[in-house]
Order: sequence, then C-alpha cells, then structure tokens
Amino acid sequence: MTYIIWTTIIFLTFIIQGSISIFDVTPNLTVVLAYYAGIRKKEVKGMFFGSLIGIVEDSLSGAFLGPNLLSKGLIGYFSSFVYRGVFIWTPLLGIISISALTLVDSTIIFLLRSIFDRTPVSIGAAVFIVAIQSLLNAPLGILLRPKDAQ
Amino acid sequence: MPKKRLLLFIFIIASLSLMTYQSNRGPLIPLKFLNNTLNGFHRIKNSVKDSINLPFRRMLLREEENTRLKAELIRVLKEQQRYQEVIFENKRLRELLSLKEREIRYVTAARILAKGTDQWSNILVIDKGLRDGITKDMVAITHRGLAGKITDVSDSFSSLLLLTGINFSAGARLQESRAEGIISGTGFRKCQLKYIPYEEEVKKGDTVITSGLDSLFPQGIPVGYVSKVNKKDIGLFQDIEILPFVDKAKIEEIVIIKKE
Repeated sequence: MTYIIWTTIIFLTFIIQGSISIFDVTPNLTVVLAYYAGIRKKEVKGMFFGSLIGIVEDSLSGAFLGPNLLSKGLIGYFSSFVYRGVFIWTPLLGIISISALTLVDSTIIFLLRSIFDRTPVSIGAAVFIVAIQSLLNAPLGILLRPKDAQ
Repeated sequence: MPKKRLLLFIFIIASLSLMTYQSNRGPLIPLKFLNNTLNGFHRIKNSVKDSINLPFRRMLLREEENTRLKAELIRVLKEQQRYQEVIFENKRLRELLSLKEREIRYVTAARILAKGTDQWSNILVIDKGLRDGITKDMVAITHRGLAGKITDVSDSFSSLLLLTGINFSAGARLQESRAEGIISGTGFRKCQLKYIPYEEEVKKGDTVITSGLDSLFPQGIPVGYVSKVNKKDIGLFQDIEILPFVDKAKIEEIVIIKKE
C-alpha cells in the first residue's frame, strides 16, 4: 500500500511540476520527495528513493541520464543527517534546510549538465532559477518533519 | 569504511560513469515509455481543469453582468468582456486557419499539453504525434512567428524544443540589412544572434527572420526583434540580443510545418 501511495505522489508531483511555472521558472518539487524520504527513511533508503525519482525525472526530461539521479540520491542521503545529532526540528529549521537542499540539488544538476552536456542557461539566469526554486520550496519545510519531531 | 559510506561512494562513481559514458556515446533514455503515460495524464488533467473552470468562469461573467446592468453604457462594456475570451479564441483560430491556407508546408495544428518536466530543457509537449504526420525536426510556428522545432515524436505526442532553448539554433538574417547570422537560444527568455560582422549597422527594434540557409527552417519566418546590441571594442562580431515574437508563456496552439 505504501508503495502505491508513493507512486501516486511521485506521479502527481511530475504532473504538477509540468503544469506550473512562476516567473518562467518550473518549481523543483521532486527534490522535496527525496528530502522527505531522507528524513523519514534514513540515509540508504533515502538515497535509493531519491535516485529512483531522479532517474525517472532524467528520463522524462529527454536529456541524458544522471544529473537528477545523482543529485536526488545525494539529497536523499544527506537530508537524513539534518535532524540527527546537533539539530532538532523546528519550522524555521525545516524552511532553511529544504531551501538549502533545493539550492544544492539545482546547483548540482546545473553543474553536471554543464560538465557532461552543455551549459543549459547563462550563470545569471541559473542563479535566478535556483533562487526562485529554493524560495518556492521553502514553505514546505514547515509541513515535512522527521518521525520523532514534536 | 562503514557500509553506508561505501554504498554512497559506489553510487557517486556509478552515476559519474553513466554520465561520462553518455557524453561520449549519446543519451540513454530507458524509461521513455513513461512519457506517454505522463502526457496522457496531462491530457486528462487539462480536460478536468477545463470542465471545472468553465462553470466558475460563467458564474464570474454573470456576476459581472448583474453589477454592470445598472447603467446601459456599462452593459455594453460587460458584454464585450463576456465575449472577449471567445473573440480572442476565434481570432487565434482564424489566424491558425490563415496560416494553414498560407503555408504550403502545413502538416497539422496542435495544442500545448504541458511544459517539459524540468526547467533546463525548454521543451513543450504537444498533443499530436506520428499519427498526425509529425516527424522529428519539423518546424513549429504560430501566427506571430517561429516557435521552435520538434525534437521527439511518439504516436500521439511530440516534444517541441523552443527557440529559447540552449540546444536550438537556426540560420537567420536581419530583415532590413539582410545581414546573415545564426540565432540560438540562451536557455531563458531571450535569444542571441551570432556572427553579425562588427561593421554591420544593427538598430534596436530591427526584425530578425529565418534565412533558410540551414536547410531546416523555411526562409522568411519572423523570429523576433533586436532588443540589445553590444558592440565590443575588440572582436569580429557583434553581441546581439533578440526578443522572440513568440512568448513561450503564452503559446496555446501551434502549427507544424515541414522542414525546408
């Protein structure tokens, strides 16, 4: 049942992502799923889940496989560390961490595409796009919390 | 090394190897079949959205009508607004029809179903495919001018690479001075006109059309106008920025024509 729910959520995420844009920028909602998998399922499952979303996104984008696969996998892995050890979940920390991880994810994709294919947009436009995507994802940090959060 | 870190290391190496392989041999797209499923859902979503929007739109129009009935003059204005959408649609379709009649290379007209799944590709999905006669590299235009070209086709859907996409380029010329160059996308809102000699006089607002010299895009399709000219102190060519006539955020229908 859990897998069916996740598959439906992923599918809906892709549909929403392909349907809206703000200031000509498509939101990066799939990173939210990778982030959520990381904070709920710990690093290995988070990485696996993130890379699964990434490979589907790479395939759907029609470009080459890899940038989303690697970046989402890394987000899934490293997001699990955010609330272990030093940090305790608060809404503000949720906002900061999801914005920062969105920024990291979009930057990794931009760099990998630039290295292995072609620079997809100018640096200035990329900074604008990454900033907008981070801002758009920020409010979701309030809703997504680890299992043990109060 | 702990097992988790080893796994992470293997994952990174495998991903980088995969990308290196593809940068040499071309992209692998093993889950391409998912595109059709997703596009099918986009089509359902659009029809659901239309059926939900329609009653609300009508309600809104009626409310406006009631308020504006107070004055006869304003009633006329309200009626205009009520039919404005239909008039615009009618106008758009008439323009498409005139394109069809005018354009001997006409293949089919198509609606935009969705944007590509990621920001970087500048791709739109249209509701026509192989069954409607579309093949790869066909040209997409609107009544305003060049929209892009077809990069991928399945039975019922196609992917349209917009002219603002970084992978887009076409032979172009300035309509007035006839200077030839190459127009290519920048990945965002504007395009760049390359290889226009330094001594050529280019003015802001000059129109750019396709030159037909690339054996792909037919000659004379309007592309955009010059929005910025940057003459560097050194170098052979000018740096010219073009604003396309076709605004990607506003495209709803396109016409597909055969390549040159």
